[in-house]
Amino acid sequence: MKPNLLGKKIAFYVLIVVVWQGIDSAEIWPDNIFPSPIDVGEDLLYGISDGSLFYGIATSMWRLVIGLAIAISGGMLLGIFMARVETVNQTIGSLVLGLQSIPSVAWVPLAILWFGLSDYGIIFVTAIGAIFAVTINTYTGVKNIDPSFIEAARNMGAKGSQLVTTILIPAAFPYMITGFKQGWAFAWRGVIGAELLFSFLGLGFLLNVGRQLNDVSQVIAMMLVIMGIGILIDGFIFKKLEDKVMTKWGLR
Amino acid sequence: MGKIEAKNIVKYFQHDGKPLKAIGGVNLTVNDGEFVCIVGPSGCGKSTFLRILAGLEKPDEGEILLDGKKLVNTGPDRIMVFQEGALFPWLTVEDNVEYGLKVAGIPENERHDISKRYLDMMQLSQFANSYTYQLSTGMKQRVAIARALVMDPDVLLMDEPFAALDSQTRDLLLVEMQMIWQKTKKTIIFVTHNVPEAAVLGSRVAVFSHRPSVVKKSLDIDYKRPRVAEDENLSQFEKEILAALRHQGPK
Repeated sequence: MKPNLLGKKIAFYVLIVVVWQGIDSAEIWPDNIFPSPIDVGEDLLYGISDGSLFYGIATSMWRLVIGLAIAISGGMLLGIFMARVETVNQTIGSLVLGLQSIPSVAWVPLAILWFGLSDYGIIFVTAIGAIFAVTINTYTGVKNIDPSFIEAARNMGAKGSQLVTTILIPAAFPYMITGFKQGWAFAWRGVIGAELLFSFLGLGFLLNVGRQLNDVSQVIAMMLVIMGIGILIDGFIFKKLEDKVMTKWGLR
Repeated sequence: MGKIEAKNIVKYFQHDGKPLKAIGGVNLTVNDGEFVCIVGPSGCGKSTFLRILAGLEKPDEGEILLDGKKLVNTGPDRIMVFQEGALFPWLTVEDNVEYGLKVAGIPENERHDISKRYLDMMQLSQFANSYTYQLSTGMKQRVAIARALVMDPDVLLMDEPFAALDSQTRDLLLVEMQMIWQKTKKTIIFVTHNVPEAAVLGSRVAVFSHRPSVVKKSLDIDYKRPRVAEDENLSQFEKEILAALRHQGPK
């Protein structure tokens, strides 16, 4: 990042904190409704010092990683099948579009009935919230492969799973990355939403504890943590991956 | 017996929901080591015929024989060089050239030796680690040719590979293509709509008629190599080809 741009960003966030503190000092709302940035900071420090914050982050991340891994591998498989086998597309394809429209938290009641209040239930919600975004983007990607790539590969002797791993996946990868990015965003929403409703550890649970204790600074602290992790994963994993692939392909 | 034989190939296209006879019974025998150019009016199905030879499309009637054996599918015994190259943009030049060898399960060091030889031959060595978007159109076609040659196919099929090149690059590649042919002694079938190109490259030129196409004329071009496009002695051959193209029967 250029120093100039970094400076602008820092100045912007400092300004937000200053304005926030200013509003708090004006004493318009009581502290149990509108906490000061210092209250929120103290809450974060408390979470860090007793380790509960890290435990919450680790729990949520673990569920996210498992759920997203299931969504990405399953979504790619399903998307490739839909793109290559017309019958699969005509049948399962329409169902996928319908399922994609269900918000992931709407799967929570079913997940509780099926898996009880367990990690499996939360992972299920995370995975199912993300899988169809991966599926649809993979499908689009495979459908958009230049047919001469596939013909050239077949001509040179590639068939079956070789064709999938050496041509279909790399050729569709720029689209798949879009699917991964969307999938990750849905998965993160899914994991937090599920933890809120399951009340079974994790950042979503800590957020809900704040609400139950009427501790508004903890609520805001947890929201900041959720946002921060989102920015980090987006910027350091998916953005980097996307940049790398796009550069390699000469798409930018 | 020829190296590769096309026997009475018939192919229909779908046109406005009705079948349209595009290829009307093509017979062509190409001998081992021949360089045959196919020319024909646009829409005569010459590229489709090449794709049938490659096994990428099935004929509605007729059959293809390689060394007397009937062919059903596509395979590395007949490698196609596509009009736009069909290079894989996610692979480096070297990895593109080695693709077919990798698929065939050839070990890495052996693969490397083979690809190095052809990259040298096509003057691509310094671009081995480049990605295809970094190359000019002419360079891309060199890579496509190298990728085909490493497979050491029985027959090399080329579908208007120089159509998108500027004339300078094309002239250069026309000379190189003749040298490659003389060096490798490959059987080559080369589709083009460019008559001078056919006269320069072909040891024989097969002229396709308008659709439903048949081989209208087969013309041996017995002339010293390397030939260049501006050689006036080639113009008599070009005239003969053009005359055959012009003398089209009722459509």
